[in-house]
Amino acid sequence: MLVDPNHTDPQSRDDLHSNSRRAFMKTTGLTALGAMLGMVVPFERNLPAGVIPVALAQDTGMDLMSDKKGLVVLGDRPLNAEVPAHLLDDDITPYEHLFVRMNGLVPQTALDQNAENWTLTIDGEVENPLELTIDDLKSRFENVTSRLVIECGGNGRAFFQPGTSGNQWTVGAVGCPEWTGVRLSDVLKEAGLKKTAVYTGHYSNDVHLSGDEEKEVISRGAPIEKVMEGDTIIAWAMNGEPLTALHGFPLRVIVPGYPASASQKYLNRIWIRDKEHDGAKMTGDSYRLPAYPVAPGTEVPESDMVVLTNMPIKSIVTFPETGTEVKAGEQVEVRGHAWCGKGNVATMHISVDFGQTWQEATLEPAANRFAWQRWRANVTLPQHGYYEVWARATDGDGISQPPLSPVWNPRGYANNIQHRIALVATA
Amino acid sequence: MKHLFAMGAGAVAALALGAGLALAAPEPDPMTALAGRPAGADPLDPMTALMARPDEGTGGEGNAELGGLPEGPGAEDTFYQCVACHSTEIIKQQRVTDHRWDELWTWMVERQGMAEPDEETKKVILTYLKTYFSSER
Repeated sequence: MLVDPNHTDPQSRDDLHSNSRRAFMKTTGLTALGAMLGMVVPFERNLPAGVIPVALAQDTGMDLMSDKKGLVVLGDRPLNAEVPAHLLDDDITPYEHLFVRMNGLVPQTALDQNAENWTLTIDGEVENPLELTIDDLKSRFENVTSRLVIECGGNGRAFFQPGTSGNQWTVGAVGCPEWTGVRLSDVLKEAGLKKTAVYTGHYSNDVHLSGDEEKEVISRGAPIEKVMEGDTIIAWAMNGEPLTALHGFPLRVIVPGYPASASQKYLNRIWIRDKEHDGAKMTGDSYRLPAYPVAPGTEVPESDMVVLTNMPIKSIVTFPETGTEVKAGEQVEVRGHAWCGKGNVATMHISVDFGQTWQEATLEPAANRFAWQRWRANVTLPQHGYYEVWARATDGDGISQPPLSPVWNPRGYANNIQHRIALVATA
Repeated sequence: MKHLFAMGAGAVAALALGAGLALAAPEPDPMTALAGRPAGADPLDPMTALMARPDEGTGGEGNAELGGLPEGPGAEDTFYQCVACHSTEIIKQQRVTDHRWDELWTWMVERQGMAEPDEETKKVILTYLKTYFSSER
């Protein structure tokens, strides 16, 4: 069950890989595969150089991290990495500073940047099911380019007490690149939504961690009314470049304002559902919140969990870096970004005295709906010593960020705790 | 850093006191979660003091041969069972309740295709996880 990648060309290696793995799965099943892996992994060092166990051959994407700069890797299989706040200072998040959230393994098509014969199927509750090539998308629908915030639903999970399960993201599972694609609403208008259409279900060709090729990694969606607002796009480019392997090549959805898990990578199908989508990680307690507020640590029955939709109002301090020394009595600029799942950031305030007094920051207009907004404030620290800058955005409904974690939930989603940095003032 | 460790010891005493008061008054009191919080891992990053739990819970680096899992009964079984799908990094990040570990186990078997070992091994692994990656102890 070993493949030597040095002795085959890439094409035949792929064929051998998938054929032999399929055959293996068929004859021995998953239990045996798990057992085999259990035996193989710890003795990997004893394998001849270049020889890798078949079921481990699919790439986690870890090698691609060399093009990322300064990210904190939370896990290597699946690959998850976040960005320190001070590296998120750009208005448009560059590739090297965009977080990575993988639920499974990177599909071979993405690793090879091979979109040959790639199609996007639109089916389900539509009058005219579509099968679109990438060229169809580019030529038949208006192309749009916009800056859209993408934020992991679990960003801020690390701050819930007691701890909640999943990657312990702090503040850096967010970014605001510029995406190019077509409006999902335009595509759905061409397909002709039936009256029975209520939800989208997104599908892709990424590979499940178990190696089971039949298993969905993740398949989430959004309500039809949300995607018909026109902000949701099917993107093929980020910051003017084709999507990369880690961010969904060749196509992905961007559902701005929603947890990024709705923004399916490696997109090849959108199934229009006649009910709330029930794909992988739509059900149970994945990306769900209790229907009512619960005490920290409470276990909530599945039937009382509802899908997380709009991400809450939030902001970060991106400059200066936490712990920076500044001169007492001299004015310094503090800045960052603010964003909101509802797309209506209203005001921005900061405090340098632990929340006792707040000063309003200037808030620049959004480049487009659902882009994050630059805020700036000048602060003068009165004397030498230790200070914290606390940042608090408020949305158009008067809802602002709490100084400690908001209401606890079993999986630790939607934590919009105020971001704080330290400033050390020298005499 | 010495100064921080000293603060940590004080925090433990305050936490013990807080627990005693909680016993006397069974009503939930959100201030107990704020009393005697340990200092953050990085004094120059105030967010580290707000995190669920600082890193000392795993007892340092752990066993490199077992993906850095801390030594203890069940470490090896846990490693072999889990790395069939994912690396140990995601395990080491967790600080969750016993109930949540049971739920995660069921979720991995029923939804994520995890091969379930025999009952005895399952018990050993869950005990290990609940011991070293817990919000309860």
